[in-house]
Amino acid sequence: MTNYAERNRALVHFIVMPTILLTVGLLGGLRIDAQTRQFVFLAPPLVTLMLAILLGSLFVRAGAIDLHRWLAIEQPMLTNVAHLLTLMALFFASAQAFNSVLPESGLLHWMFSFFFLWTLWTNQFSAFDARRLLKSLIVLFGTAFVLKHLLVSGLYAPEGGWFKRIAAALLQGIAVDVPAFAPVTGYVSFFALALYVVGLLLMAPVPVQPGGSLVNTPAVREGALAESSDQTSE
Amino acid sequence: MQRKFIQIAGIIWTLVYASIIVWIYATEPRSFKEVATNSQVAAGIYEINQERFNSGLALFRRDQFRAARDQWAGADPAQRDPRTQFYIAYASYREGWGRVYYDDALFKQGLEAVNRAISLAPNGTLIVDDPDLQMHTAAELKTELEQGTETSWKDLNPLKLFRKRK
Repeated sequence: MTNYAERNRALVHFIVMPTILLTVGLLGGLRIDAQTRQFVFLAPPLVTLMLAILLGSLFVRAGAIDLHRWLAIEQPMLTNVAHLLTLMALFFASAQAFNSVLPESGLLHWMFSFFFLWTLWTNQFSAFDARRLLKSLIVLFGTAFVLKHLLVSGLYAPEGGWFKRIAAALLQGIAVDVPAFAPVTGYVSFFALALYVVGLLLMAPVPVQPGGSLVNTPAVREGALAESSDQTSE
Repeated sequence: MQRKFIQIAGIIWTLVYASIIVWIYATEPRSFKEVATNSQVAAGIYEINQERFNSGLALFRRDQFRAARDQWAGADPAQRDPRTQFYIAYASYREGWGRVYYDDALFKQGLEAVNRAISLAPNGTLIVDDPDLQMHTAAELKTELEQGTETSWKDLNPLKLFRKRK
């Protein structure tokens, strides 16, 4: 039983988690052209890399990732290499998650980028724990997703609707300039963000050690996170 | 032991998957079909569709240049075959050629295709032994296309009305 548990934990930690994060990296920049229905792959813009760095720093500050335990001189080289690759996958997944919810160009791109930067920057100085950070990120990405894929894309849909008419009246004379993508792009983005959240849920603050101490088991991690949340509130 | 094996498998898998993603973003395939074609190119097993190539050649010989280009584009979707790219350039040349003026857009397309053909050919030299053609090397075709896109006083020479299409 213990052997199975340990093996499964290792599988999740070393194979499933990097796969999930890399899949986010793959899907985050994928768009489907509205007219030709062809794939459009958008590499992460520079601003998303900056956002990913800020988010990474937030993960460390909030204790969602204990860097000293992920990369330690006492650990075997293979473990450190595997952990480094997972952390790099997390970085690119974060960049691509931002890429997925940022409008591609124009005024809205810069507005969204500014709001993300502002939120992540102010969060650097807030008291956070891993659980609160995860909730905050779900809300942040959820809001951006709704704004981009429901409101903004609705604004530029060829058939349009009441929202398009209102926005056209309000934004008269302002060039918002967002490229039109097929609605399936929204589904791809939703799937990428859902995977990203799953990847974050699987990410233990302290990585799995041989023998599987209690801290490392996913079931107990929830408790550990709740504990850390209580400590912060105290 | 088992944990070490999983770690090694994880590292290899992560590196392979990450390379695939970087490759996809670098090649920017537009469809699943293009993903398959690009994979064939990367694996070195890419071959043009000979049937479509021959069909394009038949159309080319009947002076149906646009249809011929379509066939060749389908025969070589990855644009990796120098001979096909040469023929595409030749079709653009023949269609764009005019006694009074040249079609700039077609000549530019032709120039792009012939440049691709030259870059793909070993040592940058491409010779096509086709008796129906009057230019047999990519270099000749490129020069002809370049001259067609350039503007000079020679364009005003009335004798150019008597020149012949190659």
